[in-house]
Amino acid sequence: MLFRILKNSFLKRPKAVFLVFLSIAMGAAVATAFLGIAGEVSHKMALELRSYGANILLEPSAVEGGGFLREEDLPKIKTVFWKYNITGFTPYLFGIAEFSAGGKKERGVVSGTWFARQLEVPGEDPSVQGIKGIAPWWEVEGRWPEAADESIVGAALAKRLNVVPGGDVTTTVRGRTQQLRIVGVVTTGGYEEEQLFAPLVTVQSLLQQQGKISRVLVSALTVPMDDFGKKDPATMSKDEYEKWYCTAYVTSVAKNVEEVMAGSRAKPIWQIASAEGALLKKLNSVMLLLTVLALGASATAVSTSLMASMAERSPEIALMKAVGADRLQISAIFVGETLIISVAGGIVGYLLGDQLAGIISRTVFNSPISSPLWLFPTAIISAFAVAIAGSVAPLRRALLIEPVRVLKG
Amino acid sequence: MVSAIIETSGLTRNYGDICALKPIDLIVPEGEWLSVMGHSGSGKSTLMNLVGGLDRPSNGSLRVGGEDLLALSEDGLARFRREFVGIIFQQHHLVPYLTAVENVMLAQYFHSVPDEAEARSALERVGLGHRLKNRPGELSGGEQQRVCIARAIINSPKLLLGDEPTGNLDHKSTVMVMELLKELRAEERFTVIMVTHNQEVAAWGDRTIYLDDGVLVREERMKS
Repeated sequence: MLFRILKNSFLKRPKAVFLVFLSIAMGAAVATAFLGIAGEVSHKMALELRSYGANILLEPSAVEGGGFLREEDLPKIKTVFWKYNITGFTPYLFGIAEFSAGGKKERGVVSGTWFARQLEVPGEDPSVQGIKGIAPWWEVEGRWPEAADESIVGAALAKRLNVVPGGDVTTTVRGRTQQLRIVGVVTTGGYEEEQLFAPLVTVQSLLQQQGKISRVLVSALTVPMDDFGKKDPATMSKDEYEKWYCTAYVTSVAKNVEEVMAGSRAKPIWQIASAEGALLKKLNSVMLLLTVLALGASATAVSTSLMASMAERSPEIALMKAVGADRLQISAIFVGETLIISVAGGIVGYLLGDQLAGIISRTVFNSPISSPLWLFPTAIISAFAVAIAGSVAPLRRALLIEPVRVLKG
Repeated sequence: MVSAIIETSGLTRNYGDICALKPIDLIVPEGEWLSVMGHSGSGKSTLMNLVGGLDRPSNGSLRVGGEDLLALSEDGLARFRREFVGIIFQQHHLVPYLTAVENVMLAQYFHSVPDEAEARSALERVGLGHRLKNRPGELSGGEQQRVCIARAIINSPKLLLGDEPTGNLDHKSTVMVMELLKELRAEERFTVIMVTHNQEVAAWGDRTIYLDDGVLVREERMKS
């Protein structure tokens, strides 16, 4: 009988039903679109934010003597649990050298590093690692070094030595000399402008530290730190540690990398990690807030439509009450109606929202988006939530209808 | 000795400052057909609504079928209406999008379990076996009123209330409806309270009470 009442009620009032359906579908569509792109936006923004620079620093552990790390361990970074989150890394070997060019001499820091090194790791996809990948904001006037005797020089040092691309700098360390061809002048806005950068192997040879490195900068996609992420892993239970290890906090990724680099200590570069985390958290909050506002607007629209419909149906409700319907039975009819509409609205809303998310992603990020499966139940639940929230006031009004007043004469 | 199905004492109903029903003491024996007469605004519908559990009195006591209606909650009154009372309205008040048989089943649904065969049988009893699938808009006034009667009796009520049930019908349809009610009452043995301002309709009852400005002014027993 309930089915007959609902079916006939729908067929008899298609316009009112359509308005409620439309409100619910729009709410579910906006929720689907926003939540769909929220995850994707976080990912895309996290990738964009990697241009801020590395967020993990690996240095020799003081416990191990604070000497050097081994270059041969570097490929292992691409084999760790969080390898797909590591977007790039580059090693450094620092030394103090005497630079001379055009009659000018100066003591300064020579840095050996990878610029764009093709890395082949058995069982893993080949990748290119080096400064070019993790410090895209470096501006090089000229070009990047390609040969062992080529180098780039920081803009401030270049100015003092009065060198330009094409010139040479003689680099001397404890009596060993290396002639380096300057192929670029680099501007970074930081301390790097005081250094000279040459291929790692060249500087290792100059410093007589073959196979050794001073530090590694790692750039990794991470999730914003929360209270749990900030806990000290040493105080965690086994389950907590497992959860922490399997969440891409900057601390857990750092720990992961540290494990494969013998004698290393990994530290998050907090100013980068915190800024990223705060930005992503704000972005997610904005998306969530927009979703809640959209659902609230839909619920209001549903409530308004149902209120109008309720006024039209008050004789019917009064009659049901007069023939003995109690509050539960009246509620079952109206909530049942709204829930059926909300299932249909949720399905249509999901399909619309999926398309909307695609349009937004293509417009804003220039890339397509694939909706995760969990969005479908989320759309249905959103539709239910809108339907229930929008039904509260109309249902309350229905339950307050007095048959005597409505059915009079 | 027949027991009383309705007992009121000092039953009063006020709407703000207006006293629609002044204290009334009334006893209705089980199985009686009581007609309630009076002009518009005399309080007869108010009395019927109170007795049927559709409204609450302002003062006095009201027992119907042994139930103290003043003590019942909203849902308690709803239960009382579906289990004890059948109501026939002047305006029929049928659900427009349901067929005749579905309108009858609606009362069954709120009472217990809808039984289409039983609902059909009730409509056949009121002479509408050929109009089962018609919606109210496709029925004449007399036919709609008969659907309303079928709906009122489907749950075998102890008390049948009629609020000007023939008020919108022509003479022929009025006689048809009243004869039908008489037959049904003989079969079902329910008590009838019929509000009317038509003397001819009132005469179908066992007793008539007259209300004037909310006061019971006179009663008259009909000759059988």
